[in-house]
Amino acid sequence: MSKQPVGMVPQDRSERARFENEVQRIVEAGNQSGVTLRLLGSLAFQIHCPQYGYLQEKMGRAYTDIDFAGYSRENKQVRALMDSLGYHEQREVFVVSEGSRAIFENGRSDMHVDVFYEKLDFCHPIPWAGRLEVDSPTIPLAEMVLEKMQIVKINEKDVIDTIMLLLEHDLGESDQETINMGRIGQMCADDWGLWRTVTMNLDKVRLLAQGYPVLEDRDKARVSRQVAEALVHIEAAPKTRGWRLRARVGDRVKWYKDVDEVG
Amino acid sequence: MTKLVRELMHPGMITCKPDTPLGQVAVLLDHHHVHALIVADRDGRPLGVITDFDLLAAEWLSTDQESLDAMRRMTAGELMTFPIDTIDGRAEVCDAAARMRHDGISRLLVEEQGKPVGVISVSDFVASLVEARAIERRTVADVMSRAMLVCRENTPIAYVARAMTDASYRSVLVVTPSGRPVGVVSGADLLPFCGDEDAYKSTAAQVMHEILTIAPTASLREASDKMIDQHHHRLVVVDEQQPESIPLGVISTYDIVGMMAQPGSVWR
Repeated sequence: MSKQPVGMVPQDRSERARFENEVQRIVEAGNQSGVTLRLLGSLAFQIHCPQYGYLQEKMGRAYTDIDFAGYSRENKQVRALMDSLGYHEQREVFVVSEGSRAIFENGRSDMHVDVFYEKLDFCHPIPWAGRLEVDSPTIPLAEMVLEKMQIVKINEKDVIDTIMLLLEHDLGESDQETINMGRIGQMCADDWGLWRTVTMNLDKVRLLAQGYPVLEDRDKARVSRQVAEALVHIEAAPKTRGWRLRARVGDRVKWYKDVDEVG
Repeated sequence: MTKLVRELMHPGMITCKPDTPLGQVAVLLDHHHVHALIVADRDGRPLGVITDFDLLAAEWLSTDQESLDAMRRMTAGELMTFPIDTIDGRAEVCDAAARMRHDGISRLLVEEQGKPVGVISVSDFVASLVEARAIERRTVADVMSRAMLVCRENTPIAYVARAMTDASYRSVLVVTPSGRPVGVVSGADLLPFCGDEDAYKSTAAQVMHEILTIAPTASLREASDKMIDQHHHRLVVVDEQQPESIPLGVISTYDIVGMMAQPGSVWR
């Protein structure tokens, strides 16, 4: 766990409502204009966890910004949409990131919106080509798990979001209100580095969940079961010869990209 | 009669020690012209196998100095696959082939009475297919080499020479981007560059000689006539319907002599 408790500050209900209302406004405008924008980050977890979403507020997990996933072919429509909603783009971010990321600021509401095109690419790439259509208004649940589990120096806020998701949703082979373990297993079978980080973090989530007093014993037990089941799925996915070769090299060679601050 | 593994295998093992650095493994693979080494302990007991594919990891993962240093510290014992897949020398060859296909493996350590006696690999099966080929001597197509070594016109001759050496080929066919043959580079074409330090500056187009073509349906007598008459060691076999496309193969004096030398040929 990193020393900085990023996203772990007290946040009153009115401030949380301000973020939630703004997300609602952007999602509705996006739907009307036909732009494919799907929410990720803390607000996505809140929306997808109606039963356990209360844990964020109870455990001091604050909203800090609004993150969306999109397709780069729609970047002009996204820019027009955000402009119509009163946002100004930090154009240099789009240029420096070679079109993979855009940041929009709203001076009046002091809101900050990140749009990640095609993939999230911090410690490990999490692509979403063809995946944004399977859920709405968020990215699919499998990608939400991977969004958090790909962070090598994982923060407490990411652990809390993952605990919520594991409590709320069953594991399975589809995306309908289910964490698609086929998708996660395949991605981990394609990339040993991602497998290494995801399995390491799932174990951290299991361990840390046992120490939260706000969780009831049955919730802690469910997190343990869900993690154990997820690891079985991931291990069962057939691995390539390249994967097995990379596994033999193991931690001798760094398996992830360094990121100063994620999310 | 069904062939046994012990009859097709390569007897003995080419080994390295577990603490052999990857660079030294590469030297041994290159020196012995093999794709894999058996990693054995000081008493010669096999521990695992390390292959040329495994060594790709060294280049694949050495993306920065730190990674390069880590990979240079790695040894055969750390990168090898273990345990080694084994098979009894008395097993039938087709069973070994089926197992290698099913398990996606390229070689098996052959044991007899619990002791390693050799290695059987995909290359051994490939060689056995050549031996099993029925001997025909009717047409060029029966004898020609259907796999060819090719290069483009602008390929430096240093690379041409390397390809010929590595593949044990005596010539390289020079083709256009669309595959149309335009010339042949043979060992004789490269002789003038012996000892010339600037050889790498010349290209295949500058040293190649003209090609002679022949149809796949032509008889071996016609092919021999043409080679003797024009004093060429090889003919490019082209598809008469598509003479501009990539050739069907090459027939050389070597192919004809090889056919003559085969057990069961009319010359034996």
